[in-house]
Amino acid sequence: MAFVAGVFGSMLGVGGGIIMVPMLSLAFGVPIKVAIATSIVCVIATSSMAQTTFVSRGMTNIRLGMLLEVATAIGAVAGGVTAVLVDGRVLQFCFAALLAYVAWQMNRRGGDVTPARTGVLEAAYYDPASRRDVEYGVRRPRLGFVLSLGAGNVSGLLGVGGGAFKVPIMNLLMGVPLKATIATSNLMIGVTAAAGAAIFYGRGYMDPYYAVPAALGILAGARLGPRLAVRLSARALGMIFQVVLAVFAVMMLLRGVGLGQ
Amino acid sequence: MEPIERAIRWILLCGIALSVALMAAGLLLGVARGAGLPRGVVPLAELPRALAAPRPAAYLSLGLIVLIGTPFVRVAGSLVVFVRERDGRYVLVTATVLFVMCLGLVLGKV
Repeated sequence: MAFVAGVFGSMLGVGGGIIMVPMLSLAFGVPIKVAIATSIVCVIATSSMAQTTFVSRGMTNIRLGMLLEVATAIGAVAGGVTAVLVDGRVLQFCFAALLAYVAWQMNRRGGDVTPARTGVLEAAYYDPASRRDVEYGVRRPRLGFVLSLGAGNVSGLLGVGGGAFKVPIMNLLMGVPLKATIATSNLMIGVTAAAGAAIFYGRGYMDPYYAVPAALGILAGARLGPRLAVRLSARALGMIFQVVLAVFAVMMLLRGVGLGQ
Repeated sequence: MEPIERAIRWILLCGIALSVALMAAGLLLGVARGAGLPRGVVPLAELPRALAAPRPAAYLSLGLIVLIGTPFVRVAGSLVVFVRERDGRYVLVTATVLFVMCLGLVLGKV
């Protein structure tokens, strides 16, 4: 199971905590806090392993990732504050709806964004699927930054990595091609997760009985995922991402009604 | 590869290799004692003594710590590269990320 999670997570730039946590707690009877801790370790393993491939192929936009990471990290820390103000259940319904909407938007637009030079955080990578060099610039950096604050806030609040929100923000709004988006999101989720994991470790929720086998499985899977992501066409990758988003939306909805808590 | 990409790749590979080696050592130690996988991690303060014992749980715990610490080191390493390249803007950006990560640790303990 961890191997499969590693393949998908690293292929799509999402951590998969939203699937992993209920699966561990419902199917394996793992206490919820331990399940979250295990899932966070998995996200770190996915991110670290996948980056060794993405970075060496020049697909990760490191500067963009760092910039947005400021926003998501601040948002995540502020998550605790928001939790007091808003009912978690309402929030979960809202985000289920948002995920479904994003999946529909990606579906409606069909293919990947058309890369365009904008003079902001420009980068280029070679896409083996289309056998072309893709050059692109970032659009709407300010809006992306503000929305990333929100994405970070959600992850701090709901205990999910937030990759499912980072990918659409960068891809749909900021005009970053899907593959560069996935690679960059993958870099960012590792940072968010590491900060969370250290806290879970300190509080004694980390259980090697689950975390060690899961991490080893993920590390193996996350070697394969990025290679698939690099080779697949952006269109196929987009389709897979939409399906996963839809599943995420359903999981979030189930959480909203109280399952897997 | 750019210097920053090379640095990140190198840090991640070292982190992964070290954590896998530690976890494997812990697993082997556990099997050798016929105890199976231990439950619960060793708290940081007791880690040195447990490593010397040697308790399998200590090696598994240290493996997890290295895995968790790798992104921290990666951000710190990026900071060093940006400083060397005199990229003032991203020195600031990366330092902020590192600061907020550490802030989260401090706040999390309360």
